[in-house]
Amino acid sequence: MDHKLKQNALIEDALKSQPLASMPRSITMDVMARIQKDARPSLFTWSDFMLGLVIASCVAALWFASQNLPPILLAKLRIQGILLYQDFLVNARWLIPVSMFGLAAFLAALTIPYLRRELLK
Amino acid sequence: MPETEHSLIQRAQKGDHDAFEVLTEEHQRYVYNIALRVVKDENEALDLTQETFVRAWMALANFRGQSQLRTWLYRIVTNLCYNRLPNLRRSLNDLGNDVMEEIPDFDNPVREFESTETRKYLHQAIEHLEENYRLLIALRYQHELSYEEIASTLNLPLGTVKTGIFRAKEQLRRSLAHLEESWITN
Repeated sequence: MDHKLKQNALIEDALKSQPLASMPRSITMDVMARIQKDARPSLFTWSDFMLGLVIASCVAALWFASQNLPPILLAKLRIQGILLYQDFLVNARWLIPVSMFGLAAFLAALTIPYLRRELLK
Repeated sequence: MPETEHSLIQRAQKGDHDAFEVLTEEHQRYVYNIALRVVKDENEALDLTQETFVRAWMALANFRGQSQLRTWLYRIVTNLCYNRLPNLRRSLNDLGNDVMEEIPDFDNPVREFESTETRKYLHQAIEHLEENYRLLIALRYQHELSYEEIASTLNLPLGTVKTGIFRAKEQLRRSLAHLEESWITN
């Protein structure tokens, strides 16, 4: 047998024949004691619930307000909105794209904790 | 009829402690061996194994069965090893990926009379490899994971895994050459 092949065979044999070490003691009891003590974290926390509630309330309040405002006020608001938008276009063209970019960056940053958790799994 | 792992996982995901106890009993030796290969200390390896199962219990709801439970547990234990040995992650990343071709596995039988002593010597040489190589070797040969599974478990490129195993074997070959030289001189 060629010398290198023989070496390969010996190395392969040693690698494959390495036995699994036996455990000095079982850890099952320790694990069970710990998991009975520490509660499993819920997927949906109270802060998630509160945040959801606040956002839903804001959306509902805006919708109700828009439905119940007098039409003249709605028209005035619309005109003011258009004037503000045009003012931005004339005096601060950069503000709208920068705001959009900032909002996108903020939304992307919100995913960082989740992605980090996934990577560390 | 013994319960399948899949149904045990499903029961454990719903909070069944008994099912998780069975899973812990079944997998702890494999997880312990990974930790032991890396940290080389029985007590520390036991601590890491225990922590792995506690974390697995906490995160079991996120386990969607895309990989085997054992590979998922290996991922948790190697992450814990990274925390314990900050240099381990860096040394694995620094391996590079210059070995891109398939590494052949040799199945030539070794004659018993020449293998026993050499095998013992090589087992010691494996123990003396650096921790990153020990981890790769253990996952490949003791736990029989494919290169792809190792890459996914350690979150490393496939080429890096192949390079690491290739270099570990090269180190073992050098140790073997050293042993053969000592036979000639004696």
